[in-house]
Amino acid sequence: MQKVSIEAHSLTKRFGSFTAVDDVSFSVAKGEIFGFLGANGSGKSTTIRMLTGLLQSTSGTATVAGYDINKQPEQVKMRIGYMSQKFSLYADLTVAENIRFWGGIYGLTDAKIAERRAWAIQTAGLEGREASLPSALPGGFKQRLALACAMLHEPEIVFLDEPTGGVDPIMRRRFWDLIRQLAEAGTTVFVTTHYLDEAEYCNRLMLIHAGRIIAGGSPQELKTQYIQNPVMEVETDRVIEAMNALSDDPRIEETSVFGTLLHVSIKPEYNAEDVIKSVLAAHNLPLHRAERIVPSLEDVFIHLLDQQGVTSDAS
Amino acid sequence: MRAILHILRKEFLQLRRDPNIVRLIFIGPIAQLLIFGFAINLDVNSVPMIVCDLDHSLQSHDFIARFENSGYFPIVAYVDRIGDIDDYLQRGKASIAITISREFGRKIAKGEPAQVQAIVDGSESSAASVGISYAQAIVAGYSQQVMLAGFARRGFGMLRPISVEPEIRVWYNPDLRSRNYILPGLLGMILMQATVVLTALAIVKEKETGTMEQLIVTPVKTWQIIIGKLAPFTIIGIIDILLALAGITLLFGIPVRGSLVTLGGLSALFILTTLGIGLFVSTVSSTQQQAMMTAMFFVMLPMNFLSGFIFPIENMPKLIQLVSYLLPLRYFFEIIRGIVLRGAGLDVLWPQVLALVVFAVGILTLSAVRFKKKLA
Amino acid sequence: MISVHRIRPIIKKEFRQVRRDKRSLGVLLVVPAFMLVLFGYALNYDVKHVPLAIYDQDRTTTSRELTDGFLHTEYFDRIATLTSEHQIDSVLTGQIARAVLVIPVNFERDLAANRSVKIQVLVDGSNATNATAAAGYLAEMSQDYSTRLSLDLLARNGFGRPTLPIDYRARIWYNPELTSPKFLVPGLIGFILMISTVISTSLSIVREREKGTIEQIIVSPIHPMELIVGKTLPYVLISLVSTSLILLVGYILFDVVVRGSLLLLYGEALIFLLCGLGLGIWVSTVSTRQEQAFQLATLVSLLPTFMLSGFAFPIRNMPWPIQALTYINPARYFLWILRGIVLRGAGLEVFWQETLFMMLFATWIIVVSWNRLRRKVL
Repeated sequence: MQKVSIEAHSLTKRFGSFTAVDDVSFSVAKGEIFGFLGANGSGKSTTIRMLTGLLQSTSGTATVAGYDINKQPEQVKMRIGYMSQKFSLYADLTVAENIRFWGGIYGLTDAKIAERRAWAIQTAGLEGREASLPSALPGGFKQRLALACAMLHEPEIVFLDEPTGGVDPIMRRRFWDLIRQLAEAGTTVFVTTHYLDEAEYCNRLMLIHAGRIIAGGSPQELKTQYIQNPVMEVETDRVIEAMNALSDDPRIEETSVFGTLLHVSIKPEYNAEDVIKSVLAAHNLPLHRAERIVPSLEDVFIHLLDQQGVTSDAS
Repeated sequence: MRAILHILRKEFLQLRRDPNIVRLIFIGPIAQLLIFGFAINLDVNSVPMIVCDLDHSLQSHDFIARFENSGYFPIVAYVDRIGDIDDYLQRGKASIAITISREFGRKIAKGEPAQVQAIVDGSESSAASVGISYAQAIVAGYSQQVMLAGFARRGFGMLRPISVEPEIRVWYNPDLRSRNYILPGLLGMILMQATVVLTALAIVKEKETGTMEQLIVTPVKTWQIIIGKLAPFTIIGIIDILLALAGITLLFGIPVRGSLVTLGGLSALFILTTLGIGLFVSTVSSTQQQAMMTAMFFVMLPMNFLSGFIFPIENMPKLIQLVSYLLPLRYFFEIIRGIVLRGAGLDVLWPQVLALVVFAVGILTLSAVRFKKKLA
Repeated sequence: MISVHRIRPIIKKEFRQVRRDKRSLGVLLVVPAFMLVLFGYALNYDVKHVPLAIYDQDRTTTSRELTDGFLHTEYFDRIATLTSEHQIDSVLTGQIARAVLVIPVNFERDLAANRSVKIQVLVDGSNATNATAAAGYLAEMSQDYSTRLSLDLLARNGFGRPTLPIDYRARIWYNPELTSPKFLVPGLIGFILMISTVISTSLSIVREREKGTIEQIIVSPIHPMELIVGKTLPYVLISLVSTSLILLVGYILFDVVVRGSLLLLYGEALIFLLCGLGLGIWVSTVSTRQEQAFQLATLVSLLPTFMLSGFAFPIRNMPWPIQALTYINPARYFLWILRGIVLRGAGLEVFWQETLFMMLFATWIIVVSWNRLRRKVL
C-alpha cells in the first residue's frame, strides 16, 4: 500500500436539518488522481470544502497530508492547493501580478516566486502574455492559470472543485493532460466532477449521491463489479417504443437511452441477443443492430442510481 | 508577516486600476463641499414681509419704519386689501404680513388701543419663530415709546423709558452662519462615505468573485486579510479629510481654532469605527447590491439624520436623543465642531473620545469575529 | 400593437421578484414609513429648552425676577448657576450651556434709580439656526420685561395701569403650532418617492441586462413599450401604497392632516412618480452594472430632492446659479404642490403651472430615456 495522502472518517456536514454529507469515509493514496463523482447538490463540493478548511465538519474527522483538518488547519493549508469552478483570480491584476500575489501569500521568497512564475507561465501556455489581464484570456487559459496559481507553492495535494466547468472539450482534454502530469510528478489530485467522461481519467472514483458514497473503485472495477449483466447496445428507428417494450419484459433488468441508441442490460441466465430480437419482433419494431458492449461509467452510474430508487439524470 | 505586504501591494494595485477611484477620492468630496458650502444656507437673517397699511397715517408709516430699520424684515410688497395677503403667503413670497387697521394713527393719538395684526407663515417653522420673536420685540418697543410719549405730551414731563437691553454677543460663529456648523460636520460625512461603502463593497466583491474563498484556503490569517482590505481606505479617508479641511479653511474661511494634531488623531480613530462598520456590512451581505442597500438605508441615512449633521440633536425628542448615543458619528461631530469652532481640546472632549474608542473596539471586534465565522 | 395580455405576465413576474427579495420590498415599503417616523422626530428646527447658564452678579430680588421671567418659558432651561467670570468659557466650550446670561452688579439699584441697564448675553453660535432663535427669544423677553418696567414706573408715579397703546395680535397660518414635522412631512413624501422609484426602476432593468434575461424577453414577441410598462407599473403601485403609508404615519404620529383634496394629491404624486420612473429608465440606459446604476441613481434622485428642492433648506437663501438649477428639478415643484395641498389646502388653481411643468418633465424624460433604451436593447 502506498503512502496515504487524505483520509476521511465518517465525515458529516449538516446545515440545519439538511444533511449535505452523511457519514463519508475514504482514503486517497499519494500521487493518485481521486475523483468524486456526483450530480449537482450531491455533496461533493461540501466534502471538498470541509477538506480544505472552508467549512467546519459537523462530525467525523479527516487528515490531509497527515494533519487533522479540524485541529491543525494551518499545517493543512500550507500543503494543499485549491481551485474551484469559479474563476478565482483577480480580474484587475495582470497574469504576472496574480502569480506574484498568490506566491507571496504562500510565503515564497522573491527568488522562488520568479522561478515558479516561469513554471506557471509555461504550464498555462501564456508565454508573452504576462502583462495581460485575465479577462482578456480565453476560458481554457484562465483555468490553467488558476491551477498554476494554486500550485505555486508545490503543494502535496491539490483540490479541484469542478475545474472544467464551462470550458470547451479540447481545452478540457489539455487540462486533464496537465492534471496527469502533476500526478505523475507525485502530487495527489482530488477532483470533483459531474462529467462522466472525465471520471474515466481518474485512478480511483467515489460515486456520491444525496450525501452518501454509493460506490467506489477504479473506473474498471466499477464497471465490472457493479454491472455483471451483459449490456447490449441496440440501434433502432423507434427508440422510445423500443425502450418501452424492452423495459416491460421480465428478462430485462434495465433499459436506458443513449442518444439514438439504447443500452439494455439482460439477466445473465438468458441469451442477450435472442431476448432483444424476440421482444422487438413481437412489437413489430425494426432492429438494425444489437451488440454486446463494455459498459461505460454512465451505465454504472445509472444502474447505481436505479438501485438507490432514484430516477434522476446522471449529468 | 511578509504575507501582509503582498496583500497590501495587491490592494493598492487594484485601487490604482479602479476607474472610479479619482471620482471617489476627489470629485465626491469636493462636489459635496461646494454644494453644502454654497447651496445650503439656513441663516435666518431676514424674514420677507408684506405690509397692508389700511391707515396711511404718519403714525402707521412710523410704525412700519421700525420694522424696516430693524434689518430683519425686508418689505417685499405693500398691498391694499387684506385678501391679497393670502396669495403672497401661499406662493412663499413673504413669510410675514403686517396689517395696520384703519384709524391706527387716530387711536394712537387719542391713546386708545390701535389694532395691528401679524400673519406669519408657520410652514417654515424656524424662520417663523424667529420672525415672531423680533416682531413682538419691535411692537413692544414701539408701544413703550408711544405710551411714555403720550404721558409726556399730556404734560407729565418726559419720563425716560427704562429698559433692560440685552447685549447679545455670539461666540464661535459671530456672523451666525449655518455654513460654519454644517461644513465641519461634512468632514465626518465624507469620511463615512469614503470608508463604509467602499470597504463593504471591496470585501463583498471578493466574496462574489470567489477570490475570498481562494484566500481562505491559503495559510494567510484572517486579520491579515482584514488589515490588507482596510488599509487603502484608511489612506483614502485621510486624503479626503485633508482635502475637505483645506477646502473649509481656504475656500470658506472657517479656521480651525483647536489643534490640528488632535483633529488628525481623532479622525483616524473615527476612521477605525467606520471601517469596522463597513466590515460589519460586508458580513451581512452576500452581493454587492445588498451591501450597497444596507450601507445606504441602514447606516448612512440614519446616521446622516440622527447624528446632528444639519438638524441639531438637542432639538430632537428625548427618545431619539438616546438613540443618537449609539451612533459614532454623533461623537465625531461633537469632536470636530468642538475643535474647529470652539478650539476645544482633549480636556473637554474626552467623554466623546472615550465613546468613540469603545465603539471602535466594539465594532471592529464584532465584525472581525463575524467575518471569521462566516468564512470558516 | 400593445396588448394587455402580454404586459400582465411581466407585471406578475416583477411583483413576484419584488416579493421574494425581502430586502428590496423592505426598502420600498417599510423603510419609507420608518424613515418618516425617524426623521419626523429627528429633523427638527424647533428650538426649545435651550440650556442657559446664569451668572447673576447682582443677586437681588429684581435680578431674580428677571431670570425667573426667562426661565418661566419653555424656551430656556437653567442648566448652571455660575459664580465667576472664567466659568463662562468652560460652560460654553464644554457645551454644557448654549447661552449665558450675565446680570451686572447694581442691576437692582440702577433700575430703581430709573436708569436703563445692559445685560449681557453670550450665545454659542456654532449652530446658527439655534443661536438665531435663542437670540430672538432673548430680545423678545427683554423687551417684554422693559415694557413691564415702564408700566410699573407709570404706576409708581400715580398714573394707574394704562392699557398698551397697541393691540397686537399675531396669527400663524398653515402650521399654528410651529412644528417642523408639518413642514417636513410633505417633503419627505417627495424625497422617499423619488429615491425608491429611481433606484428600483434602474436596478431592476440593469439587473435583467446583467443576467441576460432582457435578451430573452426581447426575442419574445413582446413590444418594448409593453416591457417598460410591465416593469414599471408594479413600482408605481408600490410607491403609491408607500405614499399612503407615509400619510397615515404622518397623520397618526405628527397630526399632519391633508387639508386639500386627497384625489388631487394622488394625481400629483402619480405625475411625480412618472418623472422618477423616467429618470430611473434613463439611469439604466447609461449604466452597465448594478453598482454603477445604484450610484448614479442616488446621485440624480437623492441629491436634487434633498438639497435643491426646498425640502429642508430654503431655496431663497441659495446663490442665484443654484436657485436657477432648482427650476429644472421636478422635486421642487412637487414639494411646493404637496405643501400647498397638505398644509394650506390649496387647489389646482394655485399650482397649475407647477403641475404643467412636472408633466412636461415627465414626458420629456420618458421620451428621451425611452429612445435611449430602444437603441440600446434593440
